[in-house]
Amino acid sequence: MRLEAIRQALAALAVTEEVEVVKIIPAPKPAEGEEAAKPTEVREKVSQTMLFTPDYKKKGFHLDIKVPPAELPAAAQSLIDQGFFLEAITGVDWPKEGQIEVVYDFNHWDELCRVVVRARTDRDQPAVPTISHIYSGANWHERETHDFFGVKFSGHPDLSPFLLPDDADYHPLRKDFKA
Amino acid sequence: METKELQPSIIHLAPLDQVLAIGRANSLWPMTFGLACCAIEMMAAGASRFDLARFGAEVFRPSPRQCDVMIVAGTISKKMAPAVKTLYDQMPEPKWVIAMGNCAISGGPFAFEGQYGIIEGADKFLPVDVYIPGCPPRPEALIEGILELEEKVTGSRRWPRVQCG
Amino acid sequence: MNAPVTDKSLAVLDRTAETFVLNLGPQHPATHGVLRVKLTMDGEYIVHAEPVLGYIHRMHEKMGENRTWAQFMPNTGRLDYLGALSYNHGYCLAAERAEGIEVPERAEYIRCITVELNRIASHLLWFGAFVLDLGGFTPLLYAFDDREQILDLLESVTGARLTFCYFRFGGVYNDIDDNFITGAKAFVKRLRSRMPMYHDLVTKNIILIKRLKDIGPLSQELCRRYGATGPVLRGSGVCFDVRKHEPYSVYPEFDFDIPVYHECDSMARYMVRMDEIEQSLRIVEQGLDKLPDGPVMAAKAPKILKPAKGDYYAAVEAARGSFGIRVVSDGTNTPYRLKLRSPTFSNLSLFSEACQGMILPDALALMGTLDLVIPEIDR
Ligand code: SF4
Repeated sequence: MRLEAIRQALAALAVTEEVEVVKIIPAPKPAEGEEAAKPTEVREKVSQTMLFTPDYKKKGFHLDIKVPPAELPAAAQSLIDQGFFLEAITGVDWPKEGQIEVVYDFNHWDELCRVVVRARTDRDQPAVPTISHIYSGANWHERETHDFFGVKFSGHPDLSPFLLPDDADYHPLRKDFKA
Repeated sequence: METKELQPSIIHLAPLDQVLAIGRANSLWPMTFGLACCAIEMMAAGASRFDLARFGAEVFRPSPRQCDVMIVAGTISKKMAPAVKTLYDQMPEPKWVIAMGNCAISGGPFAFEGQYGIIEGADKFLPVDVYIPGCPPRPEALIEGILELEEKVTGSRRWPRVQCG
Repeated sequence: MNAPVTDKSLAVLDRTAETFVLNLGPQHPATHGVLRVKLTMDGEYIVHAEPVLGYIHRMHEKMGENRTWAQFMPNTGRLDYLGALSYNHGYCLAAERAEGIEVPERAEYIRCITVELNRIASHLLWFGAFVLDLGGFTPLLYAFDDREQILDLLESVTGARLTFCYFRFGGVYNDIDDNFITGAKAFVKRLRSRMPMYHDLVTKNIILIKRLKDIGPLSQELCRRYGATGPVLRGSGVCFDVRKHEPYSVYPEFDFDIPVYHECDSMARYMVRMDEIEQSLRIVEQGLDKLPDGPVMAAKAPKILKPAKGDYYAAVEAARGSFGIRVVSDGTNTPYRLKLRSPTFSNLSLFSEACQGMILPDALALMGTLDLVIPEIDR
């Protein structure tokens, strides 16, 4: 119920990405006496909406959606309208792709429904809009993410070091961080 | 310079010092000052069952100006270190420091290559008198540490040593 | 002490009035550790409060990234050291979910029993320390007396008193024996008989009532915006407990209630915790009765974990609220990223907004009912 409602509300925000899928085309049935030919692998670029409903038992969440950074406040607004609360915000560093992923976890009090919202931003100039005017609790989570990954939350009231010392200018959870 | 035979002084201060030392050793006032997990064992040592009062060290004071022992119980982060130093400086002489737990001794479980947040041991910036290993040390260990400190202050041990094993 | 925000107290908060800054902490007995709060005060009234964190930031998340899955286990015992076993449990659930390990039933029961005992110990310590904050010393001694009994029991199976590292991926490392079972049964009886004493001594005390009743109201809307969970939320009338809401382990097998109070004040949060002690006793008792035979460790549990790529989430109800853990695996034997969602982090974040216009002693009572463990907030 809840899942369906929030899925519909968020569906329009999801990004569409080119994903490479490997398709295995089975070889035609060999004629008698011939050796079976190997199935051919075809790599294809398919455009896919990044909105998934994974198996809860395996993953631990019900809805996984990737949105463009600019749409984050809109997503947060529809989540709070439906009564979701914010569990946490965090980042994941992907140096190979040159990106930092910002991950938002939401949950609901009345009905079990965990929603994961992701947004990717450039690693050299990481910036996403803040949602702290919608979820007040996001304020601290965003400051923490800024500490650890250097992600700028534009519109955030105060991004001074939070868990790190006042003069910290490093971002320790980046993969290339050296103490 | 030629040496002269000195007259024995009329006032003897050394025995007075000794008396004072006995007094101090038997009523150590630690500071209520917990940093992390080890502080809970420090609380347990002061509470029922372990009852630190039996050894005269139960008067935990929240103000450093009234204490003579600082029990560094927990991990010292780089952000906290200046505050710990200030607390130590505020204590009146004579004062002692007990490093309780592996974190206060050497950084304990949090000392790893590439760590950016902690000070690896209280003795990097404080003169530590007694080290109590453990993660966390049991309350009995803290009591033994305090007895050890008593011995350091007076030069003799008041309580019998418990032999184990 | 009874000072809800009235028109009069709001008038006092006139910004043009002279204010001063009061620094609370990082070493202050009422902040339970090394929390620091910068308070802007107008006389006795708080105009603005700004918690300053990071004084015990111990890099747990960084450590997770440079050791194997199993090597991170001891860290979970040092996050929230008062309820270490819940954290063990949360991490195990996440890793087991990622790797697809089935846990034998007996182990699940042992996990629930020990976690609940740990929860009681945590609430007892909170109770003692909280009343100590309000100025009553004796209850702490009673609470520690009972808490030591639990620690004895847990020590006999886990080998530790505080920073437990008892659970393994696929079970627990040590089976419980008859001594534990008889000891735990005796303890349940003992604590039950002592609960009325606690209520007589403390709950019905007029000073306590005056200091808690109608103090520090936290509305549901506020809790939602800040993501508060645990007893803080249940004291505001929301029945949200991960054990019921998102059942894990063998919690569905137990018959227990979730205490909920609708007053939203400090007294409600106090009562939730006291009632939770009794509910946890029920779970322990049922668990001991139902305890099945069998192994305590999954036979096929791999020694070295290498979960498939992807991210996984698991949550448990820790003593302070919902503890969540997100693990990102890149298919190697070290986690790629470990995010620990600690309940008190969110619970404390509402303090700044909630304490505006309160007088200082009331704000400290409110902070006490949030049940803070600072190393868990700073991680
Ligand atoms: S030595 Fe162990 S128990 Fe003590 S503060 Fe450090 S981690 Fe915690």
